[in-house]
Amino acid sequence: MIVVKGRDEKGQRINSMDFEKMVRKAAASSASLSLESYGQHNIGIRLQHPDGLHIDVKGPSGQRLGCMGMPGTSIVCHGASSDDVGYLNIGAEIAVLGDATNGVCNAMAMGKVYIKGSIGARGLTMTKWNPDYEKPELWVLGSTGDSFAEFNCGGTAVVCGVNAKNPANILGYRPCVGMVGGLIFFRGAIDDSFAKTNARLDRPNDEQWQWLMERMGYFLERVESPELLATLTVREEWQVLVSITPQERALMFSGPMPMAEFREKYWKGAFGGGDPLRDIAPGLDRSPIEAIVTGDLRRNRPYWANCESAAPCTYYCPVHIPTVDRLRLIREGRADEAYEMILRYTPFPAVVCGAVCPNLCVENCSRQNVDAPIDAQVLGRAVTQFKAPAVAEPLGKKVAIIGAGPGGMNAAWQLALAGVEAHIFEKDTKIGGKLAQVIPWERLPQAIWNQEIERFLATPNIHVNLGVDMDKKKFAQLQKDFDYVVVAVGTHSPRRLLFPGHERVIAALDFLKSAKSEAPPAIGREVVIIGAGNVGCDVACEAYRLGAEKVTLVDIQKPLAFGKEKENAEALGATFRWPVKTKEVTAAGLVTDEGEVIAAQTVIISIGDIPALPFLPENIDTVTVGGAAWVKTDKAHLTSDSKVLAIGDVEKPGLATHALGAGKTAAEFILAAIKGVEWKPFAKPLIPQQAMTITHYTPDTPLATQQNQADRCLSCASCRDCHLCETICPTGAISRRELKPDNRIGADPGFKASYEYVSDDKKCIACGFCADTCPCGIWIMHPY
Amino acid sequence: MVSVRPVSVTPGSLTYIDIPWIIEHREDRCTLCGHCTSVCPKGSIYLAHRRQRMPKLDIANKNRGNEYRTFVGIRQKTTMANACIGCGMCSMVCPNEAIGPVPNTNEHRSLFFHNQKGEPRKRGGRRNAPGPTLLDRILFDRISMLTDPALDAGRHEFNVTTTLGRVLAPEEFLRRTISGGWIPPTREIFPFVIGSMSFGALSPNMWLGLLQGVAYCNEILGIPVVMCTGEGGCPPWVLRSKYLKYLVLQIASGYFGWDEIIRAIPEMQCDPAAIEIKYGQGAKPGDGGLLMWFKVSKMIARLRGVPEGVDLPSPPVHQTLYSIEESVMKMIQTLSTAFSHKVPVYPKISASTSSKSVLNNLVRNPYAGGLVIDGIDGGTGAAYNVSMDATGHPIASNVRECYLDLAAQGKQNEIPIFAAGGIGKNGNVAQNGMALIMLGASGVHIGKYVMQAAAGCLGSEKNRCNVCNVGICPKGITSQNPKLYRRLDPDLVAERVADIFLSIQTEVKKIMAPLGRSQSLPIGMSDALGINDKDAADRLQIRYVC
Repeated sequence: MIVVKGRDEKGQRINSMDFEKMVRKAAASSASLSLESYGQHNIGIRLQHPDGLHIDVKGPSGQRLGCMGMPGTSIVCHGASSDDVGYLNIGAEIAVLGDATNGVCNAMAMGKVYIKGSIGARGLTMTKWNPDYEKPELWVLGSTGDSFAEFNCGGTAVVCGVNAKNPANILGYRPCVGMVGGLIFFRGAIDDSFAKTNARLDRPNDEQWQWLMERMGYFLERVESPELLATLTVREEWQVLVSITPQERALMFSGPMPMAEFREKYWKGAFGGGDPLRDIAPGLDRSPIEAIVTGDLRRNRPYWANCESAAPCTYYCPVHIPTVDRLRLIREGRADEAYEMILRYTPFPAVVCGAVCPNLCVENCSRQNVDAPIDAQVLGRAVTQFKAPAVAEPLGKKVAIIGAGPGGMNAAWQLALAGVEAHIFEKDTKIGGKLAQVIPWERLPQAIWNQEIERFLATPNIHVNLGVDMDKKKFAQLQKDFDYVVVAVGTHSPRRLLFPGHERVIAALDFLKSAKSEAPPAIGREVVIIGAGNVGCDVACEAYRLGAEKVTLVDIQKPLAFGKEKENAEALGATFRWPVKTKEVTAAGLVTDEGEVIAAQTVIISIGDIPALPFLPENIDTVTVGGAAWVKTDKAHLTSDSKVLAIGDVEKPGLATHALGAGKTAAEFILAAIKGVEWKPFAKPLIPQQAMTITHYTPDTPLATQQNQADRCLSCASCRDCHLCETICPTGAISRRELKPDNRIGADPGFKASYEYVSDDKKCIACGFCADTCPCGIWIMHPY
Repeated sequence: MVSVRPVSVTPGSLTYIDIPWIIEHREDRCTLCGHCTSVCPKGSIYLAHRRQRMPKLDIANKNRGNEYRTFVGIRQKTTMANACIGCGMCSMVCPNEAIGPVPNTNEHRSLFFHNQKGEPRKRGGRRNAPGPTLLDRILFDRISMLTDPALDAGRHEFNVTTTLGRVLAPEEFLRRTISGGWIPPTREIFPFVIGSMSFGALSPNMWLGLLQGVAYCNEILGIPVVMCTGEGGCPPWVLRSKYLKYLVLQIASGYFGWDEIIRAIPEMQCDPAAIEIKYGQGAKPGDGGLLMWFKVSKMIARLRGVPEGVDLPSPPVHQTLYSIEESVMKMIQTLSTAFSHKVPVYPKISASTSSKSVLNNLVRNPYAGGLVIDGIDGGTGAAYNVSMDATGHPIASNVRECYLDLAAQGKQNEIPIFAAGGIGKNGNVAQNGMALIMLGASGVHIGKYVMQAAAGCLGSEKNRCNVCNVGICPKGITSQNPKLYRRLDPDLVAERVADIFLSIQTEVKKIMAPLGRSQSLPIGMSDALGINDKDAADRLQIRYVC
């Protein structure tokens, strides 16, 4: 053994640098050193001997005793030691037979430190553990100071709590902050301030306990306290602080109490044990739901609105003929039912729908967005030869209808079919009004006309009186004899203009009537027609037919003529001139305001007709528009006399189809009044184009057959039973269901669906696919 | 003929490239499950059936004709009422990553059609000014390493609270203590306050979820977070609960819900944290609060004492106040008296060039407990877009000026200034808040950040979502429709609130530790701030660094 003294001959302290050199030199020649140190630092730093080195430190030790201690070296300090014992120790065994101050084992990676007393703050911090070597150990017989085991990575500590500095808390304040590895055995009380996110408190398991027991005897030997063995081997007195792995930490809630537990234990109790909104919103359910929901939690829900809107054809037709339903019947092979249904709307399907009407129905046909609109003329003419529907049981009522034009005739027809006696009083010698009197046969084939007139006249309940010139007295008599009087006399007074030479001018109405008569009038080679509307075009055609060679239509504004009338006139060579203002008419022709003479032997004026109403009683109000009196009516065509209705051109000028519609409406009003039920006007909204999905159809070449129209019909607003909704529904919520006959939905009076499609609220997620797919626009998503 | 729809072009006709968000749908991935169209809050998307013409033009065999193929896909509507808002709920529910909105990088024309029926655009959210804010650019550039005791945010203990309420000058405090005079009430609170978002602007699940989280922070985590009610009253059970102490009750020009508050005063178990008098709001300075009719449900109507389903504007000004002096005298004194002078009462104003005038008036008022200044980047549930985007004053220089003004009078420790508006706009909530604190704020109010962080608010400054005003919030945060707000689990909101405040607390420590501060917030410690913008540095009187 070599003794190294820490003081020189004069008793002066040798500085740490020189002392270290002396110790190193001694260690080179001896495995056993006794150091009579005098507060030198870094004693034992990086010292090693091939046979193992033992160092006894007999004097006061400075800081960092045993720092960077090497394996095989053992150091015994026979008193207390200063800071940082075992600093960066990589294998030495260091025993301190007294207290040690702060920083014991700081950054130690291997080796053992045994403390007989207690240690100061920040013990066992930053320890390391290299898996190729043994773990570092710190044994403390007493207690530790604050901030123990901070950032401990691998060190195992054993704190026995014998003669603890503070028996109430043997691990000091806030141990284990940042501890990521290692294990702390301790025996005694702690203040629970250890870092909860870094360490957890536990009892030693069997393996840990065995480890402790295997080494406890040796430790007590090193710190010269073997008598404590029994005291320190009572398993119940020991606890461990085990580091928490990041994986374990990731599974922990960020706070020390799960929120569900907080809600139950704290939150609810603060509000008397219930939801804090239960007083202002009783029964409110606030429990969490999913984003995709069914049933009552949906924000929308589908609705099968079959026949609740009108197809464009039905909506725009003044008679509201349900063409979609008719075409469905045809598709279903029920043509007879289809024809009968049409005849319940009009007595003139062939004459009007099939010939003279501009077909407002198909002007807005949805099919034209695929290829071409449905051909309504084909459909109208198909009904030419079909028999009239059977009339209903007589109702014992009579209605007088003055005027046998399209309006009066449809009113009579509707009333007759419903079992009301319809008596027509017509001024002319034939029925049909202007259809018969003025529409050229080119536009209204006579054969068809005759057939439909025959069908009309053969219908029971219709009584026609011709050549009746109405006057106030006769009118009063009709009011007495009949339940209702319908005024349908049209407009038979031509408008005229009083320019010089006006007496040379023929009225279009008179011209057309005589042109269509048995004795047509003579006509000049050149003809000028003042007023270039559709009637003017008819006049032009008739003029050509009667021998005119050059027909000019003049107007003060852009001509209003359109459609077939205009096309026919132009095809025959008629020319249109505008703006032309007539100054006078002379034998040479028409003189314009500019002084130009448009040569003509015949000048015809076609600027409209006005009603002639001398027979009307005073109590029936009229309204004066454009210098003429028109009968004032309401939506039901009722006049200011509750038993007198007026329809057609006497209300305001319109198409023959408008008159037909008015006749039907007026008849329905009368029938409702007779039956004592509420009259309901046609009130279905037009289905919006975007409601329908027309891309299911591919463009096709239209054919002039009824079947082709039926096949091409898009069935707007009326379910076509295609099952597409059932197919597209992602949750299988939609199904088709047969209806009991008395529970049917549908348009009146024709089609009634015998089925419906329903959506199961329990399955539907309100995606809207049914509405987006339905070709007919039946499914609608309603906010819910 | 191959047309498939009538095309009419009107002045307002828009196509999908005009909409701010373009729906990208991958037909090859779509299973047509219907989830996206079901969840879309705006009804923007629908199942489209499309037809494709495939001409057959075989010239050699003289074989020609057209064939048609139909196919389906999810498409977006182009009407303003149904324009995609980019919330991305479709992507969220899609089982197959087949759909989602992408920002439109065109100059989308829909911007010119927000004004429908003569009403300019209204929306929720905040100023649509994306990108780093000035606060984001402020650096904490004074780090104590070997010069001061080094602090470790992880190990050392910090006191991260601030004082709300009037602090008397020391000599005055001594004088009153000796003479038994009134000592104004103060609260030690966490410096990040959940700013005023009303019960009504927020859904019940959101509002109560926040309060539950605040209660958790206080009772379990020991973080003294407080939350402002906003101007919508407070549920009666809450007023009578022990959690009232975590609430700052707001009174504003609409006076919504105050009858319930006054009714509850005799039964209160504790005092509220404070009373906030709202005179202005950063998102819409000079304009009043607004709860649009969509959100005035039966319950909201009940709590606010108003008819159901009506628009609830709060006037821009308090109807009976005509001057700062009168306002301060009347409202602050009245509310202080209502709670026996035991609750701090302070006003909230929008940041403005006139903020200093208000502050100086408060300095002279013994009852004023502080001042909240709300900057232009503050959020709101409903405001006119022009108010939100173009009206207001950024918070940083406003707070700075006010603080320096107080400092010049030696009063900077006596009346706390709280800053609000855009804190955490880009997620940097602790950094933004601490920057403002070091510029002179005693604390900050955060609202939109809390919605985003605690409840996953989808709104952004790129004009995403921003439909809080119409009650269709797809996350259920700002809706009063139970079908929407039940999507939000209050427990999960509360958990996130705990996460947020634990994290803010840690980050505050991480900012404070290098400054060598652990026991008091570095309020006004502007010598530790730097910015790489000379003009901003000069304006804020902080260091220019580069």
